[in-house]
Amino acid sequence: MNSGIEKSIEIAGCASCASCVKTPQSLQDFPIEWEGDHYVSRREMVKFLTLGSFLLVLANWATAFARSMIRKDSSTVLRLGPASDLAQNGALLFRYPTPQDPCIAVRTQEGALVAYSQVCTHLSCAVVYDKSADQLVCPCHRGVFNVDRGAPIAGPPTRPLARVKIEQRGDHIFATGLEV
Amino acid sequence: MSTRSQGTTLFSAILILVATTVVVQLWLLSFSMEALLRHQFKPLTPAAIASTVLFCVNGGLLRYVFRFDRDVQRNTEG
Repeated sequence: MNSGIEKSIEIAGCASCASCVKTPQSLQDFPIEWEGDHYVSRREMVKFLTLGSFLLVLANWATAFARSMIRKDSSTVLRLGPASDLAQNGALLFRYPTPQDPCIAVRTQEGALVAYSQVCTHLSCAVVYDKSADQLVCPCHRGVFNVDRGAPIAGPPTRPLARVKIEQRGDHIFATGLEV
Repeated sequence: MSTRSQGTTLFSAILILVATTVVVQLWLLSFSMEALLRHQFKPLTPAAIASTVLFCVNGGLLRYVFRFDRDVQRNTEG
């Protein structure tokens, strides 16, 4: 297969003969012939891109159908405890809707009762309530969330915290669902 | 201009067009992922439909390339 190359290398040394074609240095250094060496034609590139396009369509439809797998709402009602446990400008930790989902309920400085998932939307560290600033703060990367809506206001997070629906019935506080 | 050189120009144009649509599809996918993570589900289906339409355009262009090659081969043999 590489006899042509060897021949061309042999004659490459012949400088006196005008009919000799000088072999490029690269072929002298690497005298291995590989037919169509890494050559990709336009047609092959179009085929490859169309295949990629098909895979992107699949990924897009997978994304469209993934929404049905996301938990939209939880109808579980969980009693968090007496309202007196949550003093003004205070916080209460609980797990909702499953024991693997840490959440935080906060009585704001204005007296409003709000609750969010404790999982930071940046890298899933647990957010804590900063009483003095009346904000939810992620200690890992100094992400800060608005306590009224859970919206990110500083640091790396770009998405709001998942909100937990919370109700006060009589003297007790209940978590009644997740807002997404 | 010979059919061969016409084909070269044509395939370069088709290649650029297909590459552009693939970039648009990539953008649609990243947009869909972001919307999904924000729990905004409305734009997901339209984005998937748009991606499918772009794939159909790509498929049509690829089919044209195959047909062009076949016609050129038939003319050469004939």
